[in-house]
Amino acid sequence: MKKQCGLAYLTVIFLIVIYGVIMGGTVKNFQKAECSAITEENLKQNLGFHDKLFQLKSRTDLIIGEKMIQGVYITKERLLEKQFSETGGNAEKLNQFYEKYHIPVYLVLVPSATAIYESNLPANALNVNQEELIKSVYAGTGTGIRCIDAYAVLRSLKENYIYYRTDSHWTSYGAYHVYQSAIQKMGFTPVSYQKYVISHLSTEFRGNLYQKTLYDAVKPDVLDCYTNETGSKITEILAYDGEKVEKREELHDTEALKTENMYEFYLGKPCEKLIIRTDLDNDKKLLLYQDSYGDCMLPFLLQHYHEICVVNLEKMNCSEIHPEEYTQVMVLSSISTWQQVFS
Amino acid sequence: MQIASLTFVMIVLPVMLAVYYFLPNKIKQIGLVFSSFMLYGWGSPIRIIYPLAELVYDYGAGIFLEKYRKEKPISKGIIYFSVIIQIFAMIYFRNVIQEEKIFPFGIMIYTLQGLGYLFGVYRREHEAERNIFILGGYLLFFPSVFAGGLYAYPEFVQQNRNKHFTIISLSDGLSIFIRGLAEKVVLANTFGYIFQELQQIAPEEMSMLTAWLTTIIFSMYLYFELLGYSEMARGLGKCFGYDLPKNFRQPFFTSSITALMESWNITLVSWFDKYFRKGIFGNNSKKWVSYAGFIFMWVLIGAWYGMKKQFLLWGFFIGIILLAEKLFLEKNIRQKYIAGAVYTAIIPQFLWVLFFSENLTESVNYWKAMAGFGNGIFDRTGIYFLVSYIALILTGVYIATDLFRNILERLTISAYGQKLMMFLPLVHGGLLIFCLASMLYGEQIDYLWLRL
Repeated sequence: MKKQCGLAYLTVIFLIVIYGVIMGGTVKNFQKAECSAITEENLKQNLGFHDKLFQLKSRTDLIIGEKMIQGVYITKERLLEKQFSETGGNAEKLNQFYEKYHIPVYLVLVPSATAIYESNLPANALNVNQEELIKSVYAGTGTGIRCIDAYAVLRSLKENYIYYRTDSHWTSYGAYHVYQSAIQKMGFTPVSYQKYVISHLSTEFRGNLYQKTLYDAVKPDVLDCYTNETGSKITEILAYDGEKVEKREELHDTEALKTENMYEFYLGKPCEKLIIRTDLDNDKKLLLYQDSYGDCMLPFLLQHYHEICVVNLEKMNCSEIHPEEYTQVMVLSSISTWQQVFS
Repeated sequence: MQIASLTFVMIVLPVMLAVYYFLPNKIKQIGLVFSSFMLYGWGSPIRIIYPLAELVYDYGAGIFLEKYRKEKPISKGIIYFSVIIQIFAMIYFRNVIQEEKIFPFGIMIYTLQGLGYLFGVYRREHEAERNIFILGGYLLFFPSVFAGGLYAYPEFVQQNRNKHFTIISLSDGLSIFIRGLAEKVVLANTFGYIFQELQQIAPEEMSMLTAWLTTIIFSMYLYFELLGYSEMARGLGKCFGYDLPKNFRQPFFTSSITALMESWNITLVSWFDKYFRKGIFGNNSKKWVSYAGFIFMWVLIGAWYGMKKQFLLWGFFIGIILLAEKLFLEKNIRQKYIAGAVYTAIIPQFLWVLFFSENLTESVNYWKAMAGFGNGIFDRTGIYFLVSYIALILTGVYIATDLFRNILERLTISAYGQKLMMFLPLVHGGLLIFCLASMLYGEQIDYLWLRL
């Protein structure tokens, strides 16, 4: 290399490094905190033009022929999560639970959008058959455990807006229909769809799959809130997290709508255990083990119970629970959480 | 510290180069040794104890060896003792320490370099080093420890005397470093990621197509991983004023496996050839002994990659093939280039299977699938991977052959190319930006699984 060229070379490299580090805010972080702020993860997050760089790489991959970004299949209409493990998760623990407490248990395993919209996947893509998975788990349940076939319900509503396009969760609409079939089995008459007033909270909702892939060519989602003016009212909400007990005023967290995790609107920040009481004057109490799929189904269930205790499946061993105080138990989980927790 | 990381590229390297630039010439060497140790102990300072002990031992042993050169029994004793204790310590540390945080990585590199240095003193090829900082700079020179490549001591000392640190050497060095970085983070990481996906399929369920894709993608991954690291090392060496030899050339599409292995991990093979084969079996006139020595050397080279049976078997097979080529096939291959190229493209793919399979049963299952006795000729999975990655594989193969290098080289020599060099800063700037994008995109896929 000639000297001028060498100088130009060093200048270009120097500018890129300076721009990436200083403009990105690493230095700011460094001043604020201490030396330990310089970690690889921190640098990655704070690199200048982080999102643009990420898109540069992922779009190039897509052009070359890759069909997914960070484990999420990119299709024209929606982002579809790749389901990883083919096995794992059985009903053993649930059976043991029933033997111990003899309270009726209702199990709802919810497939992810990838199972329902399989035909949208790229040709020959690797995909786990979630229908089979759910069937095999259901087949392993003993007496006292009743299984609700969410797969069939959702499958039949395929043409409707039952899953978000950019988020891994189902919509309130999808949750409502599964609630309808579940609550009948649990001995109640479902509140009819007409009674609900639906308000659009946001038409620009970009969910967790978007956050993961930053792929913006898929249309953003609509986030809905269902309210039943004539139904039961919540009287008390207690949120347990570790040693802390916090009294919440509202079930929904409107603050979350201003953040990236808009889905947290439904149930607020995740915690270990929530106890919710309503003004319904019956002695029905539900113990609900759920993952985040349950967040938007809970408002529907609250129309039937005096008290619901919501336990976060992923943290269920942390908190103290007294199942004998409850009249019914429901386990509501997505396949992936189920596999993680009951492997 | 991982050198293909944002921390190193964006913060540590610029600071290090700036400090090195302003250090007075006299203490530049001390600065280099100091920074090598600092990088080595990054995150867990306890790690530097072993290489420090090794350095002190080699320094002392070198001086002793020189002093007792005339008294054969003593010097012989020292050299045998050194070999046994260092090899033993190396095997012990490599296999016993499982915890990533304290694993003395690069242990193979500085142990073999240290032994090479002692052999050199013993055989009176060079003097013992009196300046511990020069010896330390050689043993633990961070580009080589972090990135593979064994360098001979005499060459290093020569370089050390002539080393110069100028704008030109710095920018030349950085340009090699950035190319190496791209080979590692753009190509190797992508191939590595696809390989991980493919590895989730059990070999028994693989079709012929899938099995072949798996080994081809693995071989591309391994090549670009090792090449990328050793090119980064060469570039860093140049930044600090050293001209290090190339460790990899373009091994694919050669017409014999001999030619392939001649451009694969060159510095390692020449170390074993010089100190092990020629040192022990060199003077033996019996033909079969020298043949056995040759094969044994390749088994040991296999052991360099790991202590599993598969690696030893890989070395054994390579040794036999190379020997057979030397004895029977040499003439034939030269005449029939295409047949040679096809054979060189196919056989090594079967051998790479030994690198990534967990045990021999798994290797056999892969081989079965590759031969067409697995789950059919092709299946949906195979087609999916082929369609998704064919462009990437072809690009990788093209870059791995000398066709690509030749074009680049011819371009730089031609007058027209000289003018185009003006745009090099911009082109490499773009390449660096793409490297940054790749680094923040995904998890690092590391060759530390090799535990070198």
